[in-house]
Amino acid sequence: MAGQSPGTAIARPPGAQPADPGDAFVLETTALTKQYPGRVTALDGLTVQVTPGITGLVGANGAGKSTLIKILLGLLEPTKGRARVLGLDCQLDASRIRALVGYMPEHDCLPPDVTATEFVTHMARMSGLPAVAAKERAAESLRHVGLHEERYRQVGTYSTGMKQRVKLAQALAGDPRLLLLDEPTNGLDPAGRGAMLELIARIGAEFGISVVVASHLLGEIEQICDHLVAIEAGRLLRSDTIGSFTQSSQVLLVEVETGTAELADALRCDGLDPRPAGRGLLVPMDGDTTCDVIRDAVAGLGLPLARLEQRRHRLEEIFRDEPVPAGQPSTRASTRASTRASTRASTRASTRAGTEVSHVS
Amino acid sequence: MSADATGVIHDLGYQRYDGDRLGRAQIVRTLTVYSLRAAFGLGRGAKAKIVPVSAFALMCAPAIINAFIVARGGTRAFPYDTYSAPVRMIIMIIFVAVQAPELVSRDLRSRVLPLYFARPLRRGDYPVAKFTALATACLIMVEVPLLVLYAGTIASSHGGGAVWAQTRALLPGLAIGLMWSVTLAVIGLAIASFSGRRAYTTGAVAIYFFLSLALAEVLIGVAGDGTAGARLGGLVSPLTVLDGVRQWLGGTSPGPVPAVGSYGAAYGVMLLALVGAGAAALAARYRKAGLA
Ligand SMILES: Nc1ncnc2c1ncn2[C@@H]1O[C@H](COP(=O)(O)OP(=O)(O)OP(=O)(O)O)[C@@H](O)[C@H]1O
Ligand SMILES: [Mg+2]
Repeated sequence: MAGQSPGTAIARPPGAQPADPGDAFVLETTALTKQYPGRVTALDGLTVQVTPGITGLVGANGAGKSTLIKILLGLLEPTKGRARVLGLDCQLDASRIRALVGYMPEHDCLPPDVTATEFVTHMARMSGLPAVAAKERAAESLRHVGLHEERYRQVGTYSTGMKQRVKLAQALAGDPRLLLLDEPTNGLDPAGRGAMLELIARIGAEFGISVVVASHLLGEIEQICDHLVAIEAGRLLRSDTIGSFTQSSQVLLVEVETGTAELADALRCDGLDPRPAGRGLLVPMDGDTTCDVIRDAVAGLGLPLARLEQRRHRLEEIFRDEPVPAGQPSTRASTRASTRASTRASTRASTRAGTEVSHVS
Repeated sequence: MSADATGVIHDLGYQRYDGDRLGRAQIVRTLTVYSLRAAFGLGRGAKAKIVPVSAFALMCAPAIINAFIVARGGTRAFPYDTYSAPVRMIIMIIFVAVQAPELVSRDLRSRVLPLYFARPLRRGDYPVAKFTALATACLIMVEVPLLVLYAGTIASSHGGGAVWAQTRALLPGLAIGLMWSVTLAVIGLAIASFSGRRAYTTGAVAIYFFLSLALAEVLIGVAGDGTAGARLGGLVSPLTVLDGVRQWLGGTSPGPVPAVGSYGAAYGVMLLALVGAGAAALAARYRKAGLA
């Protein structure tokens, strides 16, 4: 392509690594509000800053994660407030931002009747790469996502997992400074999720690209994130480093066949904060010794231990850090149900954390 | 799928891209060329080539027949301003009905538009690129046969005077071809961009062009040659409007519309209105589409 005349080529800003003019934050929003027609408020005065690294954007369905990402890309206009990406204003410099950012949407976005190579090459060219470079980087990106062997097959013949990788490859092909990934593990089986998360972790750590990953599964993205931003109903719940999130999020479930009340008292005396949950007690983890303290307390009272395992609070509880009032039947029931639901997601995290999970009967 | 389970990630390190980046105008040009190739099935599977390649061959057939006729001492068999009117009308309707959805419905169907709009392109760039591509494809479909007609004729002409006469007759024909291409492309894309279902949009484009053409011919037939009714009847179909404008601009060959007489300007206005409406519909469609 005769497209490289200096007059029209946009050169990358000097100093490839911290190219970001406002380098402290990769993205930054101020009182960002988005109302869809029909008075749906998707974002409600969201103010948040995100530093370089891998950041998880967590929130339940409809929390406004995708809306935020689309505003950052200039795909949607905010109703009020401001947003900056890599130091550039989302409304004034949308075109420049889009040249520096890779986007992986949550929905399917692949034409079935072209090969992965052709598609990713075309998308790299649409990111502004000249023909030869686009071809090279497409092959490179497909190799990074593990599709080197299958790259000449039509995308329509790919499995869901492979399609997710093609979506990631097209986002990566233009050598972005920041990747915005919307639910990248959508539709994947546990092995596929693991592989995708590992890949994202590598992109953040080894490729030196900042990543924002939207997900409604905290248990999943906390494994790879440096930082978490939690939103609910378009508002910021909490923005913090991963360490402070996981500390408050880990909780032990103790069930004894009899004597739950005595055990609760004993644990309170040991400085823990047990709360009734179903037939057992939920005890927030307070360092590595919590497990031992509980075991000692159970042994000390001579109670028959039915279960001791690591569980997770429900998402909102973690973020709000609100104490659950003890002994209210309705709270009990709901906590129990949601705890169960999230157990599956947390299994991986708990085994990784190496916490002892014992089933004694 | 085994590839999922065994999808080993080979690590040969990540390479930065430090080379030049194309500007927006060049990206639009790249998309235009890509779409133009797609309009003829290039870069797609064999199935995608069937319609455009056979349509092109059929469009060229009259010009090739002409070359034989002229070589045997006959005179030019088709005029440059109408070519073979029925062949050109039918084949161009089919070509646009199949290829306009190929260029726009396909992208709506696969929901790839957010990927385009998440890149340096602006909203309006996409329909501009698609229009330029389809109009160029139509231009190739319409003008290459005219050039073959010209080449076949002058190959058997003797003397500079004869060649010059052919050239002078060809040039208005090429201008009319350009008018056809712009009109058919903008209307075809405007209709096709309303749905991602290619079967529907192909049907819609074909039905619009064929039905309006049939209606125009019925109205012209009922009113009778030379009447005001016949002249008004020709205004209902883009193809008869194009023919009316051709006559208004001085085209003398007989066409599907009987002599437009004093209604020439009305045909001109109607053509501008059709193209303007198509362009406005297309622009409005892409101002909001593609975020699903
Ligand atoms: N185009 C739209 N028109 C009207 N309302 C919309 C539109 N898109 C999203 N919404 C609403 O805005 C809110 C936030 O949606 P958004 O897609 O940003 O949530 P999300 O956090 O990405 O959810 P999910 O996890 O389901 O993807 C929801 O209540 C949704 O119904
Ligand atoms: Mg979403």
